Amino acid sequence: MPRYGIAIDTTKCIGCHACQVACQNHNNLEPKEQFNWILEREQGKHPSFSHEFIPVQCNHCEKAPCQRVCPTGAIYTTPEGIVYIRKERCVGCKYCIEACPYKVRILDHGDGIVTKCWLCIDLVRKGGEPACVTTCPNQVRVFGDLADPKSRVSKFIARHRAQPLRPDLNTVPRIFYKRS
Amino acid sequence: MLESAWGWLIVSYLFLAGAGAGAFIAAVACDLLAPDWSKALARGGSLVAGPLVAVGTACLVFDLEAGLWQPWRQFYLISNLNSMITWGVIVLSLFIPVALLYAAALNEITFVGRIAKKYLRPLEYVGSALAIGTAVYTGILIAVVNGVPFWNTPLMPVLFLASAISTGLAAAMIAAAVIDINTIRTLSNFALGHVIFLSVEGVVLMLLVFMSLTGSVDAAESATMLISGRLSPYFWILVVTLGILVPFVLSIVEYYEYGAMPKHLVVGADLLVLLGGMSLRALIIYSAAPPQIV
Repeated sequence: MPRYGIAIDTTKCIGCHACQVACQNHNNLEPKEQFNWILEREQGKHPSFSHEFIPVQCNHCEKAPCQRVCPTGAIYTTPEGIVYIRKERCVGCKYCIEACPYKVRILDHGDGIVTKCWLCIDLVRKGGEPACVTTCPNQVRVFGDLADPKSRVSKFIARHRAQPLRPDLNTVPRIFYKRS
Repeated sequence: MLESAWGWLIVSYLFLAGAGAGAFIAAVACDLLAPDWSKALARGGSLVAGPLVAVGTACLVFDLEAGLWQPWRQFYLISNLNSMITWGVIVLSLFIPVALLYAAALNEITFVGRIAKKYLRPLEYVGSALAIGTAVYTGILIAVVNGVPFWNTPLMPVLFLASAISTGLAAAMIAAAVIDINTIRTLSNFALGHVIFLSVEGVVLMLLVFMSLTGSVDAAESATMLISGRLSPYFWILVVTLGILVPFVLSIVEYYEYGAMPKHLVVGADLLVLLGGMSLRALIIYSAAPPQIV
């Protein structure tokens, strides 16, 4: 089975937030609700400084802490390796929000459940790619099968030695970053 | 986006479940070890234990979202044995009825109490195990969260157990004073419990703060928030001074000045312990800082 993941090239990101809007559009989210957003980091002082845009979203961790702590078993990993929330089981205890080190889960007050990025599983199963990937004007995100060493994403990760955010937290994320 | 998902309802739950479990332990300890000193303490402790935990559990349920207005979803709560909440639901649903039965037995409330009285010892042993389980579980609940490095330490359950026993003893002593104000002299014996468990709590809290300061950057951020940052006034005044130091000194005086201390100071020390326990839970929840991810 495939293990889908994304490699993100932060050196190409211009911080236009198109990925965020495309995601909100595809998932019918309110303006305040977001499954992905862009963190910014500045280093150094004028005239020698850098400004980095780092898009973040659910990392679909192989050892997902949210899945481990969910009391109702609402969170599971699909055969494609996507960490998925069964909406009808979630009680809204928010334990998974506390457990997630990346803080990419949000509470949907309307339905009273926790939601997050689901890697546009609806598009992916039809052979497409997630909305944030296809909409990006700079092709910052590379989507594909991490289990296949010949896929574009695997090659990208190998060539640029892309790393997940905070690999030391030992959750084995499936979103990789090329930082410099 | 980075504020803690849990608020005052979870804080109240952590405090009430701890205090209820502690009150049960105090009642059993009194009934088993010192039945001649004060019947009122065992009676008071047993009477408040079940209701405190039940109210705490209600707070937990009211904090739910979809599970609150579609209550049948709560049956799913025991689905995942890897989750501490699943274990918590099991422990709480066993402990609350046992604590209520024990209260009925010790105070001989209705025919239920008369029947339960025959099984007083088993109720005490099983109940104590469940009470320790409840108190420790509230600590493990947040200790297994790796989304908050400050919580993610085995010191947390120890701190919560020590705090649960001291707040529980305080709740039991206040209840005993309400039942029979004249027993307040004999309650001085139990001030020794405050001296012991408040010192354990203080030492473990100190360890937690120091280990966090020298540990990861993320845990240090939370610890700094407590000792010198945004939450420091609450930490030093409510938790350290009013919650631990003042009742600690008062309890030493109470123990050595056997029965001579004014009644309002005895009850006052217990109220301060409760205030400190609640503040400790609140500050630990509100000082949660996520790992720096970029």
